[in-house]
Amino acid sequence: MAETMQCLTDPAHRPGQRPVIALEGVSKTYPKQSKPAVAELNLVVPEGAIVMLIGPSGCGKTTTLKMMNRLIEPTTGRIMLDGEDVTNVNADQLRRRIGYVIQQVGLFPHLTIADNIAVVPKMLGWDKGRITSRVDELLHLVGMEPAEFRDRYPRQLSGGQQQRVGVARGLAADPAVMLMDEPFGAIDPITRERLQDQFLEVQRQVAKTICFVTHDLSEAVKLGDRIAVFAAGGRLAQYDTPSEVLAHPADDFVAEFVGSGAAVRRLSLLELSHLELEEVVISSRGAPTNGHPVLAVDDAGRPSAWHHLPGSAQSPPLVTVPLSGTVYDAVDVMLDGRSPLVVVVDDDGQPRGALRWDALVGDLRTKGKRP
Amino acid sequence: MMDSYLQYLSENSTELIFYTQQHFLLVLYSVTFASVISLVLALVLHTNQLTPASWRRSLRVGSRETSLLLASAALTIPSLALFGMLQPLLGLGVTPSIVALTLYAIYPVLRNTLAGLSSVDPAVLEAARGVGMGPVRRMLRVQLPLAWPVIISGIRVAVLILISIAVVAAIIDGPGFGKPLQDGLARLGAVNSFNEVITGTLGCLVVAAGYETIFVVIQRLTTPRGIRG
Repeated sequence: MAETMQCLTDPAHRPGQRPVIALEGVSKTYPKQSKPAVAELNLVVPEGAIVMLIGPSGCGKTTTLKMMNRLIEPTTGRIMLDGEDVTNVNADQLRRRIGYVIQQVGLFPHLTIADNIAVVPKMLGWDKGRITSRVDELLHLVGMEPAEFRDRYPRQLSGGQQQRVGVARGLAADPAVMLMDEPFGAIDPITRERLQDQFLEVQRQVAKTICFVTHDLSEAVKLGDRIAVFAAGGRLAQYDTPSEVLAHPADDFVAEFVGSGAAVRRLSLLELSHLELEEVVISSRGAPTNGHPVLAVDDAGRPSAWHHLPGSAQSPPLVTVPLSGTVYDAVDVMLDGRSPLVVVVDDDGQPRGALRWDALVGDLRTKGKRP
Repeated sequence: MMDSYLQYLSENSTELIFYTQQHFLLVLYSVTFASVISLVLALVLHTNQLTPASWRRSLRVGSRETSLLLASAALTIPSLALFGMLQPLLGLGVTPSIVALTLYAIYPVLRNTLAGLSSVDPAVLEAARGVGMGPVRRMLRVQLPLAWPVIISGIRVAVLILISIAVVAAIIDGPGFGKPLQDGLARLGAVNSFNEVITGTLGCLVVAAGYETIFVVIQRLTTPRGIRG
């Protein structure tokens, strides 16, 4: 199964190889503390990748993130940005080149939404027209109607909306790099899920190099191209793709951190669109069934019920899952609908194939990778 | 009685308008000096890296506490005594009056300025640092505007305190409503003496009402819309 995972990353946001952020032998020891918070860390973030920094509290993940834009100055080591040593450049100017989003959002309450987003472009001396069009563009990007939100104040927005503005502010001057410190940590689970989906959608369009601190493994698996697992004392225990971290934890610490649900979590990495689905036959079209399940459809071609299922006397309830989902979603609807198989439908509701419960524990085949 | 007071007012109207002006300006100058001093002190002493890194945190906190202590000590000196003590140094008249009133006004303004600056959400300041604002820009564009409503209410309290203390300035020949008030009190029973006492008291109220009106307008105009209550 691990082998088949290699091809699952969407090629559109597969990270490149050019390193954008590189920490070289970076350590941080806080004053009056004997043990370093981060010790001799080497970490390379490739262009266009979302790297998730995860680990237990006090493991140095936030310290590591804040050293990248030097909100925390490293005790030793070098920080490279785009091949340039930025360990000693002007920190304020460095930060204007790096988007920064924090958990508490930290919008400026006395400025309008538009002025909040425009903070960095203004400091960089952009002209008015350019700033205005950039603000509108960003509000559109994060799914907020500019005419409605431009002139509002932060306190008039919900938590989720505030964080979307926070992300827009981080993106304002089109930085190559975004640092995000648990941006969705303080948001309710339902909104969080929506924001994560939207975040991936935005990333597909902007393709930034992103470092993202989280303590939520599901979030790391869902969003990350790579996961950096930190152990106490700022030790980088494993740095690999989510599927590798879940399938092959580097040591006992990672294994314990990933926990017992790893196999189930891995299902959320398998996108249905990459699977070889079982063929289904539409009953009204009179094609030979060849032992495939037969589906009844309505006038618009959407599945309405199982017509016939080979090898079983009565038809199970019909459940469907969108093609854009993952195997995790498919399992969820199957369990929920008490059905041994699920119909995968595309955006128009047309059936594209079926996935059987048996296939999950057997041989899940992915496209183009058949031996 | 009412008739005779009104007659007194109309006969002395020029003089009374003059006292009002004097009292108003005396408070205005003193509170302005005190505000400038307090703002500068608070900005320098507030822990947000405006002070050089070589200043230890304990030194910074220490100097902040010390200046608050001194300012509160100044406020507790009996006004009669303070005006008297300044007389040998600065003589009589306007200068010692302004100096004494400035000393009294520092504490409320300084205290509120420090409180206002510390009340700003740390997350907002971290965000400001994170987007690349330097210490000066962070203070002027973010921290000070957000602390402003608290600072201005400190200045407002200082003004009210000064309006009443200012009448004591009359003992060193200072300007304002202290003069008719003290004249009246000294000659109680004589012609118009009670009228003078009433006038001094009511005059302070008029000046206070004037300031309150001005502050309502100032607060309205200078508080950013996003944080207006």
